[in-house]
Amino acid sequence: MHPPISLIWFFLTAGTSIGLFTFTYFMEFLSLFGKNTSMPREAVILSLIISLVLIGLGAIGASFHLGHKLRAWKAIRRFHTSWLSREAVFSGAYGFSLFLYGLSYYFNASPFLQHSLGILTFILGWLSAFSTAMIYASNRFVLEWHTSLTVLYYLNMYLMLGSSAFLSLTFFYRPEFIPTYLFLTFLFVSLGLAFRIAHNVRQVLISRPTINEALNLPHNRPIRVLDTGTTTDNYCTTEFYYKKGKDLLGSVLPVAYILTFVVPLFLVLYSWITGNYNYNFYKITFASLLIGSFLERWCFFVEGNHVQNLFYGLYPEEGYRLRKGYMERKKTVIRL
Amino acid sequence: MAQFALVIDLNTCVGCHACATNCKEWNTQAAFGPLSDFDPYGKEPHGVWYNRIMTYEMGEFPNTQVFHLPKSCLHCQDAPCVPVCPTGASYKREQDGIVLVNYDDCIGCKLCSWSCPYGCREFDEADKVMKKCTLCIDRIYDESLPPEHRKPACVLTCPAKARFFGDIEDPNSEVYRVIKERNGFVLFPDMGTNPANHYLPRTETKVHIDEHILKHDNPLFLEVLRRHHVGG
Repeated sequence: MHPPISLIWFFLTAGTSIGLFTFTYFMEFLSLFGKNTSMPREAVILSLIISLVLIGLGAIGASFHLGHKLRAWKAIRRFHTSWLSREAVFSGAYGFSLFLYGLSYYFNASPFLQHSLGILTFILGWLSAFSTAMIYASNRFVLEWHTSLTVLYYLNMYLMLGSSAFLSLTFFYRPEFIPTYLFLTFLFVSLGLAFRIAHNVRQVLISRPTINEALNLPHNRPIRVLDTGTTTDNYCTTEFYYKKGKDLLGSVLPVAYILTFVVPLFLVLYSWITGNYNYNFYKITFASLLIGSFLERWCFFVEGNHVQNLFYGLYPEEGYRLRKGYMERKKTVIRL
Repeated sequence: MAQFALVIDLNTCVGCHACATNCKEWNTQAAFGPLSDFDPYGKEPHGVWYNRIMTYEMGEFPNTQVFHLPKSCLHCQDAPCVPVCPTGASYKREQDGIVLVNYDDCIGCKLCSWSCPYGCREFDEADKVMKKCTLCIDRIYDESLPPEHRKPACVLTCPAKARFFGDIEDPNSEVYRVIKERNGFVLFPDMGTNPANHYLPRTETKVHIDEHILKHDNPLFLEVLRRHHVGG
């Protein structure tokens, strides 16, 4: 699949926004139980402003992949069937609710109102994240995406971005929580690594359809694509098969792994074990996660193989396993 | 409920692309046009086509069969492109089962094309909306046309008469009959889309070789031997 940069941008901005808000509000929420976990007022306001700006920028950026940006509001119409519609509704509602929560916090509204809005924002944020993940996971024609792993991994990425961003805030405002957030960042990045490895391993193991199944022809005969009807690429061959990306994937994926998982894990572990709480570590951790996540999302799109590629002979055969009951495919041997 | 569809006979389709070009010609100037073209006379021409013809070779040499597969929107009865559309621009008509796109509501998110396992939707970079085969809905209901012309442009133009059009749910229709009589099949049956367009299977050509062709003094003897005895 061709990676739309605007969607990757939305992932990064919305992920950081929702993740950061989650941990900011989580600390506020714990104070309800008598814990001294609240961040200082200026830290909360700063975090809320960052979250609000990021979700705003994300929404603007995401509209760039639309053909008609001014009609984007119409995306709320099919809420009952479309995950994209749900994402649009929940993201918008999250942004609005976040704004109201920020106002209630800034003007010291009653704790009941503040926490009601906080909980509502939290729920809307995660519903938005879930809906975004489901856009990919519900697509049964891209087998690499069509798994619950996609959702788990996606939500975990939001937590990775949020916990590492919040780590920097704790450094300045509540240093006593640094070890806690070092642990949480370590936990989410480790989980992310496990999910990503599972995602890659699964790609080798999934049973892929063949061109015979696409054309509904006997499975024991080799079929070759002779002509695709056009002399140049068309929408289907560019949108669903990104050749340049496929060529680069082998180089980009290791870099994505290193930046998203290896570097953050190393820095967080080093800081945690040695007790060396240096802001530069956290800065680099977040920056590395951000750049790594961008590359990782790029790889996620490029790795996706749409089944319509079968008609063009562009679907991978690596990892293809013969299904039970079908005759083994023979190689074409030309004898003279 | 009626379900209009195309039935394409792979046995007679010669892969001439007349259906694709006539589709392009009609639809680019009709109600659902234009089908934008970019660099049409240049080195890398590309644009929107509702109908594309693929050519495949099946079997092992020398027993191979070449067949052509015209592929346009299959107007699936469980169209996966419809529910994913966030605006409701993609819809399936109840009265005839045709899947259409309302260009005024399409926001160009391309999600419907991601949800089509056949690759039958194309994004028009000029209009910034998703376009697809309409079964020439502006022809088939046009009462100003003579009744025999109220068919999709591709059906009317096919020189081999390989394309049929009609209601596949109507037992009295020609398409219903040919599907039943000639084992009409659909593409990607496992995908749960229940496509309306059907294909009539290719009948494999059997080569009958008369005895006199195999005589030693036949100048083609060696060629025949090589092709049909040694190779097979």
